[in-house]
Amino acid sequence: MQILIYILKRILQSIPLLIIVSIISFFIIRLSPVDPLAELRLNPSVSQETLQKETERLGLDKPIIVQYGKWAASFVKGDLGITSNGERVSAKLKERIPNTLLLTTIVIALTWLVGIPLGVAAALNWKTPFDRILTILTSIGMAIPSFFFAVLLLIFAVKTGWFPIGGLTSSNFLEMTFPQQVWDITHHLILPVTVLFTLSLAGLQRQMRANLLDVLDSDYVKFARAKGLSEFDVVYKHALRNAINPMITLLGFEFAGLLSGAALTEYVFQYPGLGRLILEAVLKSDINLVMASLMMGAIMLILGNLIADILLIITDPRIRVKA
Amino acid sequence: MKKAGYVVLILILLAFLAKACIHADIPETTSKPEINNSSVENINYPAPQKNVTIDGIDYLQSQAPVGKFGGTLVASTIGEGPKTFNPFNSKDNISSQLSEIMYDGLLTTNAVTGEPIPKLAKDFTVDGDTYLIHLRKGIKWSDGKPITADDVVFTWQNIVFDGFGNTSIRDSIVIDGKLPTVRKIDDYTVEFKTPQPFAPFIRMLSNPIAPKHVFEPAVKKGKAYFDTFLSTNANPKTFVTSGAFRLKEYVPAQRVVFERNPNYYIINTKDEKLPYLDKLVYLIVGDINNEVLKFEGGELDVIGLQGANVARFKELEKHSDFKIYNLGPNTGTMFISFNLNNRKDKDGKFYVDIKKQRWFQDKNFRQAVDYAIDRKNMVMNIANGLGAPLYTAESLNSIFLNENLPAYERNIEKSKELLKKSGYNWSKKGHLLDKYGNHVEFDLYTNAGNTEREAIGVMVKQDLEDLGMKVNFKPIEFNSLVNKLVNSLDWDMVIMGLTGSPLEPNGGKNVWMSNGTLHMFNQRPADYTQDDRYPWEKRIDYLYTQGALATDFESRKKFYDEYQAIAYEEKPFVYIYSPLIISAIRTKFRNVYPTSLGGIMYNIEEIYLDNGQKGKGS
Repeated sequence: MQILIYILKRILQSIPLLIIVSIISFFIIRLSPVDPLAELRLNPSVSQETLQKETERLGLDKPIIVQYGKWAASFVKGDLGITSNGERVSAKLKERIPNTLLLTTIVIALTWLVGIPLGVAAALNWKTPFDRILTILTSIGMAIPSFFFAVLLLIFAVKTGWFPIGGLTSSNFLEMTFPQQVWDITHHLILPVTVLFTLSLAGLQRQMRANLLDVLDSDYVKFARAKGLSEFDVVYKHALRNAINPMITLLGFEFAGLLSGAALTEYVFQYPGLGRLILEAVLKSDINLVMASLMMGAIMLILGNLIADILLIITDPRIRVKA
Repeated sequence: MKKAGYVVLILILLAFLAKACIHADIPETTSKPEINNSSVENINYPAPQKNVTIDGIDYLQSQAPVGKFGGTLVASTIGEGPKTFNPFNSKDNISSQLSEIMYDGLLTTNAVTGEPIPKLAKDFTVDGDTYLIHLRKGIKWSDGKPITADDVVFTWQNIVFDGFGNTSIRDSIVIDGKLPTVRKIDDYTVEFKTPQPFAPFIRMLSNPIAPKHVFEPAVKKGKAYFDTFLSTNANPKTFVTSGAFRLKEYVPAQRVVFERNPNYYIINTKDEKLPYLDKLVYLIVGDINNEVLKFEGGELDVIGLQGANVARFKELEKHSDFKIYNLGPNTGTMFISFNLNNRKDKDGKFYVDIKKQRWFQDKNFRQAVDYAIDRKNMVMNIANGLGAPLYTAESLNSIFLNENLPAYERNIEKSKELLKKSGYNWSKKGHLLDKYGNHVEFDLYTNAGNTEREAIGVMVKQDLEDLGMKVNFKPIEFNSLVNKLVNSLDWDMVIMGLTGSPLEPNGGKNVWMSNGTLHMFNQRPADYTQDDRYPWEKRIDYLYTQGALATDFESRKKFYDEYQAIAYEEKPFVYIYSPLIISAIRTKFRNVYPTSLGGIMYNIEEIYLDNGQKGKGS
């Protein structure tokens, strides 16, 4: 019951936040000098009548406040409006979200499955050659800029011919049998996943290592050891449970990055995800599409933090008492 | 000891870093590519396609060598892919390009000579304002229904004239507020009548024809519905097409796949139905770099090349499986424009400073600028040698190009002479002063982010500084620039580019007619009534009006030749150069006959794959 009230409270708190985010975003986009019709204006074969019609269709002839009001009203009703080309924003997003989710969930699952054990192992073998080598490797991972790394891998794919050059499926995907299709997608995913994995693994592994080291150094762990508990119980029952709390907060942020975290890599690999869609929308000042994606990002962040907080309540009795 | 080791290590690393920097500062010396030997001028084109009637069906017969059936060709489009598959609703190049593959028009353009030739129509006759079109008997849509006069009348009357979808075509054929008429004479004959003779109309007849049985229900549901009809979310199976291919699959942000239309009406000399290819795939690629990588990696079969890539691919070509074609200058024009505006805005302030007006409105000044521009230098240094200096208002591949207007070299002495004639002189420090003693100083704009125009701006600035002019070069954001050109009108000089049609100069009337919406060098407000045209503007207005009224090519050319001569003399625009179009295609594809007007894939139904296997990238 308490948790439900807590959740409700948090949701109510986020409403003004969303309103402020939407107002700021909307006005920044509309007040920037980007004119969605500039291309048409400079096309000699486009008539004045067409321009006039387009202006009216996009509502550009009305004051910004009115435009915002219209947008907000339909957003509350769950209608994301249409893109500047007349397609439904929701349909556009629906095309891309599964692709982005596929990529990001694989990456997050992989990094957590690999990063946490590696972090624990490094902490337990503190200052041994194993730890040192891991530190060097993760330093490299953190140091390579994702964009650069992605381009390098792409050139690698061109030179060796071992991997497809970007995209998600081959052009004869429809004619493939199911196992072939699975392999085709996997084949396309290897490079982008490698880039994102290398990048986020380093941070996660180091965070886990530092947390566990902190905890291993604390008095209660010393006490547990003094009490004569087995090393296994000390580490996995007592130390790890305490060390994992900051990681849960981190998981909340990872959740927020599910839809937007891979944009740069998606762009380099021509991955048909949200990144490319939204980049183009921003360049063309396609207001409904940009707003939808910004709001989506904000909601995902709020949701991620909420989930993390709830998980923390479950795992950490100290927070439960305070809440 | 250990510390010393680290210090040495870091020093060595720094040394390497420094070495790398020094090396990078030395510019690479690359030779200019020898692209001329791959020009399209020495290609032997097959005879034009001709009509043949077999069993009462009027086919169009390709005269190109007979090829093999099967295979896939993979091409690409840059950007986010098509916005719609409705050919009457497309506002962007990619959407129109893809719908042109699916829907044929009554006429098309001979890619070699540029004259209108029949396509869906069997033949046509033009008599002043009357266009009589005979349709092919017995040809079918991809779903097997016959293509008849009803489809043609429906397309023109109920879609185009009634203003459905993108109304650009409709707007461009309204003459004195009147639209042409279209009339069905019998099932296979249609007559168009324009309110008065209007030559550009013949080109409009290459507009696609819609299947009435598919489009009529959509038209009945109104304009708002029509705008979403055949959107990119539509099921490909519902597409009924007349072109060589029909839509098979659209995967957002990845590709568009076409399959051959089994009912296509073009046959080869063995009377087999074309196209040869089973599939035509367009990959949707986000940027040029990725496109080049995909071509190198073998995922693409055709590519347009630019700048430094041309030299690199020319090197690769020798031991590779593709051939590079130089398709000649493109249809775009790039120019410097002066603001000749002498009007005041609503607050009674001049759009252009009065002293600057005196410079820009002086023909000698404009010509002096023109002679000071070093076009050849720009072609070599900015376009990597892949461009042609431009001096005329019509692009170099236009069939209306006035070839009597000579090219000339940069001539600083002549510039100075012209300036002296108008009373300009030079201060001791070499600054140019007008006859009232004002320093000649003005702003030169272009759109930031367009590296080509930015580079041109820098070179123009240098060239004009040789005349003692002070040029403040200001690249600004594209939208702000358009706003300056179209609304606020407060600019001095600008570097811009416009696309034109190599077939129809009348498309430029928005630019050249004095009341045009893009008459940027002397833009008048929309509701402007006062006649303050320069005599030469008046003459161009007359020539453009007459050029559209005349119907035969020879008499039209006379009018358009004169307008080009006036533009050449008066220099409201100083043209700079046209980039060359360079394309590469894999040699396993045969029947490739690229032309300057049609590009490399205009005869897609005739192109076939020679190695008998499926295309790469599949």
